[in-house]
Amino acid sequence: MKKLYSNKRVIFSLVAPGLFMFTVAILAPILLSIYYSFTNYSGIGDYWFIGIENYTTLFHDSVFWGALKNSLFLAIGFICIQHPLAIFVAVKLDKLQGKAEGIFRCIYFIPNVISVAVIAYLWKFIYNPNFGLLQKILEFFGYKGTINPLGSGTAIWAVLVVLIWHGFGWGMLIYYTGVKNIDPILYEAAAIDGASGTSTFFRVTLPLMKPVIQVNVTMAIISALKQMETVYLLTDGGPGNETQFMASYLYKQAFSSYKYGYGNAISVIFILICLLANLILQKVFQEKEVQEV
Amino acid sequence: MNSVLSKHSRTKRRIWILVFSVIAFVQLFPLIWLIDFSLCKSNELFTSGILVWPEEIQWKNYILAFRDGHFLHYLGNSLLINTLAVVLVVLISIMASFACTRMHWKLKNVVAVIMVMGMMIPIHATLLPNYVIYDRLKLTDTIWALLIPYVAFSLPQGYFLTSGFMASVPKELEEAALIDGCGVYRVVFTIIMPLLRPSISTVVIMTYLNNWNEFMMATTYLSSDKWKTLPFCILEFTGQYSSNYAVQFAVMALSAAPALLVYIFLNKYITKGVALGAVKG
Amino acid sequence: MKRKALAIALTAAMAMGLVSSVPVMAEEEQVTIKVFSNLPDRTSGQGLIEQTLFDMYMEENPNVTIEVEALDDESYKTKFKAYASGSSMPDLVNVWGQPAFISEVIDAGLLAELNEDDYADYNFLDGSLNGFSQDGKLYGLARNTDVMGFYYNKAIFEECGVEVPTTWDELIGAVQTITDAGYIAISMDGSDKYPIAILIEDIYQKIAGSADTYSNAAAAVESGSYDESWTQAAQMVVDLVEAGGFQTGFETTDYGTALNLFTNGQAAMYYMGSWEMSMATNEDIDEETRNNISVFTMPLVDGGIGTATEICAWNGGGYSVTANSEVKDEAIALLNYMFEPDHWSKLAWENGVCMSAQNFSDYLTGEETSLQLEWIDIVSGSTSVSGTPINDLGTSEFKTVCEDSCVELAIGSLSVDEFYSALAAFAQ
Repeated sequence: MKKLYSNKRVIFSLVAPGLFMFTVAILAPILLSIYYSFTNYSGIGDYWFIGIENYTTLFHDSVFWGALKNSLFLAIGFICIQHPLAIFVAVKLDKLQGKAEGIFRCIYFIPNVISVAVIAYLWKFIYNPNFGLLQKILEFFGYKGTINPLGSGTAIWAVLVVLIWHGFGWGMLIYYTGVKNIDPILYEAAAIDGASGTSTFFRVTLPLMKPVIQVNVTMAIISALKQMETVYLLTDGGPGNETQFMASYLYKQAFSSYKYGYGNAISVIFILICLLANLILQKVFQEKEVQEV
Repeated sequence: MNSVLSKHSRTKRRIWILVFSVIAFVQLFPLIWLIDFSLCKSNELFTSGILVWPEEIQWKNYILAFRDGHFLHYLGNSLLINTLAVVLVVLISIMASFACTRMHWKLKNVVAVIMVMGMMIPIHATLLPNYVIYDRLKLTDTIWALLIPYVAFSLPQGYFLTSGFMASVPKELEEAALIDGCGVYRVVFTIIMPLLRPSISTVVIMTYLNNWNEFMMATTYLSSDKWKTLPFCILEFTGQYSSNYAVQFAVMALSAAPALLVYIFLNKYITKGVALGAVKG
Repeated sequence: MKRKALAIALTAAMAMGLVSSVPVMAEEEQVTIKVFSNLPDRTSGQGLIEQTLFDMYMEENPNVTIEVEALDDESYKTKFKAYASGSSMPDLVNVWGQPAFISEVIDAGLLAELNEDDYADYNFLDGSLNGFSQDGKLYGLARNTDVMGFYYNKAIFEECGVEVPTTWDELIGAVQTITDAGYIAISMDGSDKYPIAILIEDIYQKIAGSADTYSNAAAAVESGSYDESWTQAAQMVVDLVEAGGFQTGFETTDYGTALNLFTNGQAAMYYMGSWEMSMATNEDIDEETRNNISVFTMPLVDGGIGTATEICAWNGGGYSVTANSEVKDEAIALLNYMFEPDHWSKLAWENGVCMSAQNFSDYLTGEETSLQLEWIDIVSGSTSVSGTPINDLGTSEFKTVCEDSCVELAIGSLSVDEFYSALAAFAQ
């Protein structure tokens, strides 16, 4: 058996397709990206090597830093608004029991299965100051002015609201699973000790949900970094570059400004930032676990 | 005492149901609004009410959306491409995780790391160079231009989930099979695979959810109608019917429908799959 | 009515096709011409005319198949660049005869040279092909003559007691009256950004006169020094916004929405190009509104030397053939066919869609909509035109920055000085 399980040819045939996909679709484009990032390629015609000029430009590019700041804003928004809400709903929903529990859980997840293209266009209509749903609702409650959510200053909040609305069910569902996995005996024990609802939540529920919270927080940060499609269709980075994200900015540079080399430099830094974020998050969560043990 | 408590808890329950209903309303109302106006005339959107009872229900909006949005064609493409991607992801990740968790070779840990690396790489960072690569290989505007990135970027999660479950599958079964003279491939596909059913369904659901709505790759790599997927219904329509909002609303509702219906019917399995996939992956 | 005219043209063409196909050799091989178009709506407007011509051509040349990929402007430009970086460029493509778009493409050798003599009898208007030429060589044909103007809803003007403004101050006054009456004054497509850039140019022309607008603008872009007239023009745009000239949220209003605000009677005016004259025949628009659409051009500016007959006009969109196309000759033949005087020019006019870049005075039918006639008057009465607007005069990076800055100027996140120093950063 050992011999069978060490057959090089068999092993190779099993891992080859996976490695092939990795090489073709991930490794090769990254290498190519690095190559182009050292050139002044416009996308067409001749180009030559310009050393690290693209990277030095990038370092001074306020839009790029703005994009990074926007990612940070989204991540904080998710962690401070969406997640507490999701945990809270998950915990309370768990106690509801009965048919209602399943129905609510099902409804909350619905926006998640709807295509980003639909979501973005739909919210563009909802936000429209002249005939949008939001304006009409405000008018219904007697508001006289006009609101412009996608305008300067508020646009990034408007994006955050859409993303929270869209992703709420997903986060809720995962917390809900975490809550369901908590042994009910622990609650009974807490009740016998005379703990109030609030203290049970903070002393029992929350600590036991730690692994789930870690997963969700990691996902929130990564998805904030990778944000592209919703913003691309909803605001296209505007007004100005207020809602630009790394992915949408590299697209704009490469395809609107004919700066393909520069766009690739953004790609490379984008990848590095994502890798770094992953490493840091892993480190942070690991260390905590070690300390506890 | 007991009855007082239960009465108290019953009002409490009612309050909570009310709170949840409000949240549910917030989650659903934009969609109700969408469907409402998809059945109206375009200019009724400019009236002042929040919801409008259409003067006459405009089914023809849906007929236009269905026909001019190439709905069936794009739906068919979406189904085909996503199903192929799912099958490939499942097969490749099971094969790789078997080799990396069960078999004996030096580099297996390195390969295991490579397999999950992709999870950290943002898919959009490969958009520009991949276009050049596919163009050189003459793959633009073919099904491969979508299939390759879809599979490649779903593989890491697939590998992660299957290898995680693989560790919990007892070795005795395959040992017996090997003694009976089974080859490794047969062990993988006839013994291990059925045992992994729960994790496979998770991989299937996650892969579908990842790729079903993708459109950035599709708009960049495809040019003819041949392989365009469902999101194109909307992307193309807004240009075509720019002065007719109601039809735009209809096409949005229509293209959201398939995934929504599947979700409503399979909601138990999907929520379970997502929960499992997200927590493990 | 219009559809009928088209149908007749189609049958006539088919009949002609029967005659002309006699000498064609039977063993001609099958050819597929791939067309990349920026007209996604194939069932009305310019897209319908384009498609009709393709259908006619295929009818006459049974060995030719024409495959069309169509996207709206912004997606078109993005995709075009993706194609340009690869090797699979379609055979016949839309181009814009403006430096920001076409220079880099010509420099890279992507477009096939056309033979200028072929078009001697095509009646192209003087200068309309300039944008498509470089170093004395011709690389494309212009599709339209584009003129910028204020469409207005006569019924709303009447209701508010507003006259068509002849001076800038009257325009500001009209804006105030109209917004007081609860309407949007001017519907503005700020999401596409270019209308604001053109607005600045349009005003500049009324300040500085249009005799040299093109060369002045080009010189300004190149040198990065924008004189007082430019500063004044930008300031006037800011004033217009502050007076409540545009709808709330204009900076994120896309093309379709801006149009719809006007055609649904929400806005009294709509600042857009002559290519939207087909509003008057668009069945999707309420008949009452449709019949009330009229147009005026930029009013005079106090102290400016530009006159009413100096209009903001240019030849933008057009077609080119790809240099390394495998069916280059066939694609050029198709292009030439499209622009034979009685094809694009005639059909576009008869269907009330737009004004071609050719002399179409032979095709006046007497059945024009009043909107069409107004445009004709504006163009035939013009004494000079502005040429390519400022945003399209630099590199494509300049275009991106210029248009972004125009929006930021209009929403007040850039001051006029900051606006021009952003543009000046691109001086050579």
